[in-house]
Amino acid sequence: MPKHLIVDPSKERKPGLLSFPDVPLNQYKVTVAQEAKKLGKANVVGMLEDMVLIREFEFMLNEIKTAGAYRGIAYNHPGPAHLSMGQEASSVGQAYYLGVEDHIFGSHRSHGEILAKGMSAIRKLDDDTLMGIMKGFMGGECLSIVEKHVKAGDVKTLARQFLVYGALAEIFARKPGFNRGLGGSMHAFFTPFGIYPNNALVGGSADIAAGAALFKKVNGKAGIVIANIGDASMGCGPVWEALNFAAMGQFSTLWPKAYKGGLPIIFNFMNNFYGMGGQTVGETMGYDVLARMGAGVNAEAMHAERIDGYNPLAVADAIKRKTALLKKGQGPVLLDTLTYRYSGHSPSDASSYRGKDEVDMWQQQDSIEWFANELKAAKVLDTAAVESIREIIAAVTTQALKLAIDDSVSPHVEPQFIESVMFSNKRKPVLDSRKPELLDVSENNPRIQQIARRSRAGVVDGKPVAKNKVYQYRDGIFEAILHRFKEDPTMVAYGEENRDWGGAFACYRGLTEALPYNRLFNSPISEAAIVGTGVGYALEGGRALVELMYCDFMGRAGDEIFNQMSKWQSMSAGVLDMPLVLRVSVGSKYGAQHSQDWSALVNHIPGLKVVFPVTPYDAKGMLNTALAGTDPVVFFESQRLYDIGEMFETEVPEGYYEVPFGAPAKRRDGSDITIITIGATLYRALEAADILQSKYGMSADVWDCRSINPLDYEPLVASVKKTGRVLLSSDACERGSVMQGIAANLAQMAFDDLDAPPVVVGSRNWITPAYELEEAFFPQPGWLIDAIHEQIVPLPGHVSATSQTAAEKMRQNRLGV
Amino acid sequence: MATAVIMPRQGQSVESCILVEWLVQVGAKVEVGTPVASIETDKAVFEVESPAAGTLIELFFEAGADIPVLTNIAAIGNPGEDVAGLRPSGAAATSAPAAAAPVPAAVPAPVAVPVPATVSTEAPVAVVGAAASGISPRARRVAAEKGVDPASLAGSGPGGRVIERDVLAAAATQPRLSAVAKAEVQRGGLTAPAQGSGPGGMVLAADLTAKSAIAPAAVSAPVASGEPVTIPLKGIRKLIAQRMRDSLSGTAQITLNMSFDATELLAYRAKVKDQAEALGLPNITVNDLIAFVVIKTLRQHPDLNAHFLGDRTVQYPYVNLGIATDTERGLMVPVLHGADKLSLSALSNAIKPLIKACQGGAINPDLLTGGTFTITNMGMLGIESFTPVLNVPEVAILGVGGLFLKPVLKHGEVKHVQAINLSLTVDHQTVDGAPAARFLKALCTGLEHVELMLAG
Repeated sequence: MPKHLIVDPSKERKPGLLSFPDVPLNQYKVTVAQEAKKLGKANVVGMLEDMVLIREFEFMLNEIKTAGAYRGIAYNHPGPAHLSMGQEASSVGQAYYLGVEDHIFGSHRSHGEILAKGMSAIRKLDDDTLMGIMKGFMGGECLSIVEKHVKAGDVKTLARQFLVYGALAEIFARKPGFNRGLGGSMHAFFTPFGIYPNNALVGGSADIAAGAALFKKVNGKAGIVIANIGDASMGCGPVWEALNFAAMGQFSTLWPKAYKGGLPIIFNFMNNFYGMGGQTVGETMGYDVLARMGAGVNAEAMHAERIDGYNPLAVADAIKRKTALLKKGQGPVLLDTLTYRYSGHSPSDASSYRGKDEVDMWQQQDSIEWFANELKAAKVLDTAAVESIREIIAAVTTQALKLAIDDSVSPHVEPQFIESVMFSNKRKPVLDSRKPELLDVSENNPRIQQIARRSRAGVVDGKPVAKNKVYQYRDGIFEAILHRFKEDPTMVAYGEENRDWGGAFACYRGLTEALPYNRLFNSPISEAAIVGTGVGYALEGGRALVELMYCDFMGRAGDEIFNQMSKWQSMSAGVLDMPLVLRVSVGSKYGAQHSQDWSALVNHIPGLKVVFPVTPYDAKGMLNTALAGTDPVVFFESQRLYDIGEMFETEVPEGYYEVPFGAPAKRRDGSDITIITIGATLYRALEAADILQSKYGMSADVWDCRSINPLDYEPLVASVKKTGRVLLSSDACERGSVMQGIAANLAQMAFDDLDAPPVVVGSRNWITPAYELEEAFFPQPGWLIDAIHEQIVPLPGHVSATSQTAAEKMRQNRLGV
Repeated sequence: MATAVIMPRQGQSVESCILVEWLVQVGAKVEVGTPVASIETDKAVFEVESPAAGTLIELFFEAGADIPVLTNIAAIGNPGEDVAGLRPSGAAATSAPAAAAPVPAAVPAPVAVPVPATVSTEAPVAVVGAAASGISPRARRVAAEKGVDPASLAGSGPGGRVIERDVLAAAATQPRLSAVAKAEVQRGGLTAPAQGSGPGGMVLAADLTAKSAIAPAAVSAPVASGEPVTIPLKGIRKLIAQRMRDSLSGTAQITLNMSFDATELLAYRAKVKDQAEALGLPNITVNDLIAFVVIKTLRQHPDLNAHFLGDRTVQYPYVNLGIATDTERGLMVPVLHGADKLSLSALSNAIKPLIKACQGGAINPDLLTGGTFTITNMGMLGIESFTPVLNVPEVAILGVGGLFLKPVLKHGEVKHVQAINLSLTVDHQTVDGAPAARFLKALCTGLEHVELMLAG
């Protein structure tokens, strides 16, 4: 809400008519002969070769999937193969003008794009660079296999064999594959050639690619980004979020001059007219012509066009024109690239939703046949030369298949290898060597002034410092963020109220004064795009700190958190890092959709680090750790705690320090019972510990499980072995909470030392009620005492106010509440 | 300050006593030395005297309770005095407990809670016997470490679960287990007795008993109603049952029979009896004479005056003679220590009070242990011959039958002499039949020439 952008009622209320730019449909009119003359014979023949390569590669996969053999070589591939036979011209045409600095992101149906972009890179790179890339990739493992088994006359022929073998080995889940076989058919990619992750979630690449474009823009990196997504993905919310994110008005109105203009991205819809069993035009979508949709996004209608994806030259022409627009800062662009797939969605799809005559009509116009004939007509090639191309290509695919299915040449990874790539676990505090761009980070910054006036100690002379005079939890968040902004030039932060407002909970107050728009900005209300662009930004090599104001909003970013943020490090076999930190805030007082602790959801997803600091010292130290690492971190905060001072450490240091992930923190020493908490519940557990001590003479060993994943159980087990009793509590709903998992693990790890079952006290399995009823919902100190009395050790004279018995738990579960 | 009446420790081998009866009631005035209660060990009945003058304020147990020694059983002081500090854990806070077993101080029942439609929070009730309500893993582990049988404990955890503190409390009142015994208990199936036979009451492996004791043959003669009468196995009966079972299951018993011509022995006894008053001699019985000759003969046969201890046999240079004695509470075996040092008259003088003490129930428990050889005489009950059961770890026991007329061939003529049958049971694990027979033969020869033995 920049104050100088006035929302003027007299302007907004004025009557008028809104007009839209024309959207060109198939306007390319140059003939093949003309283009061949312009581009040169070798280049147009190369396009044909690449189209034939893609067709043969997928014909091979189709044969293996449907007949169990290709050219007499039998193989069973149980995994997926979503084929794009029929779409070759759209991939090859797109790749023609792209350089390795131009990054493409794809879909589950992207074999063609991988090969086209790879061949484009091979044709453009000089031999030394090419050899350097192949030798450097995963220690040259893939290259050495190709070199050993294939007689290639020259580097480019070798590189083509490398590309085909690397992609095929990846599809067959083989260790020498581009991603050690951990990506597979739907995810294969090869970043040195500018081929970025392909995505098995329909439209999944849209916001990731937008994030990659944001990275290029913010960090001044060369090249453009293309999101290759299908026509049916236009029905996906996150795709719309990505289109809008890339077209935000602030790029032209608010960002500094050097950064002005929309994101350098083409949303290329490979429009093959079908999405699963649904036909987009006339059945599942209302757009009639997909290119129309650009008009709904910005005044330029995203420079949308429909282009003929059956003519590689038309596609190449469009990419050339649109790239020029992007380089002038006029992105984003929407392309509606017509094409058609001959096979079903996958080998299991018999295409029962379309007639054979329709497929025949497209096959009669098959792009490869047509293009070959055009080249022959233009006297570029004769029939024998075309046949020769087909034979050479068939030899390449056959050779790749033999190598890729040979277990002695192309084994699968040792399963334990997967464990080693779940996290990158690197410490990289600075991700680029540029000088970080900053505005006012001097003592004139209002936030820095405010913090300077505060007491860094939370307790002085045995008394807690008054809230408005104490260094608060939110100050720890601020200091950690500001520190990283000052160190790492790639760091950006955004969310729905980060700039000007300073965050709904005032963590970012002062950052607006400290940072330019290109490093701190307000995002649209697009949780999927907030996280998804963060993923793209991070896997391109930048550090992103993104925020969802309330934990509850994670649902809006479900795919981006569960399938994208968490997966790309391991699916890349460690090629990619994911220095992305997602701040989420657990609320209270605001009812059922604003008060949930969903730590269990993200903790369940492999590949995420999950932390929940509850002291100012940890807030700063753990955010410092998160922002210096290379792993995706979901960083939980509690709205109950933003204004608390430090109650455990002497003070929160002014300087930089890190609190490592893994270790729980002991908050009180005791010998009679172990109490473990996550989140703000710690403070209520300490109240319960006081009651235990004063009324029942029991001392509690109280542990703050600030790091949920990773979690070092050793100190917890040692504590339980000492006390024999353990109570666990958090504000998350009891059923399936993180605490249940910890309780189950402790029962296994310390079974013989347990004097009672581990008991979990969570919130009720209800909606969070209004603030006035919260004490009946969130765990209270009395609940903990009652649970101890009823399930762990009877407390003399204690009278329970709530029922915390196992029988009650059984009753609740029987009813599902 | 009230004074506690303590369950006395009756001899080294006693770990707990049954409180038979309170002899005074709450409110009664007592002096130092006033008998307060009668108690029974496995082996005898005693009276507990008041250690202080005052009023009996509270009885911590009721009659019938089995109470560890050195436990406070009652408090004496001024009326109204607070005796909570003296009340042992595990004892009821009432002078008239309703339950037979001591009930630990119960947690007050919570009042009904205003939670709608929930299971009421019932008072956790301590339950004796953990089987029904469980034992925490930690309690089980600590019990194994301490050699405590958790099944015997009253659980104080939720729902009566036996938890660590219950085991620790029990361990505090129980003796140590030897390493071997501990290992045996941990292996399972065996349970440690309250007190062991090792040094300082340490429980030895030999003291362990099987957990699933064979159901006692509890039916005695039917009473008039025709209903069977169940008699709990406890006290001396329990000990006897255990000893006898252990004896028969743990040894290889063989019984040899031989009779001797008692003519000379009876004549000698009659002679002594005639002169007893004049010479100040005691009433020498047939039993005394047999005991005397047994002792003398054992000196020549040390292999029968021995203990078999599994991996070794220990022969004793002295004779501690056990004398099986029938009492109201059952079979008891008082031991005459150093019997080989005694003359016939001294022997006779020593045996009689020993038997009397047993029958009166006032025997010092230490005089019930340490035997090296046992005599059991069933002659007065008309038994001619029987198979005595070894008093383990002793390797031999001699059974004495009653007088009977035995035909003998003397000078070509059948005559009847008064004879007594001896039944010698030995543990064939360590004593073979031949040496046992040689001992029996020597014994019979000695008894047939008893006056000669007196010279030895």
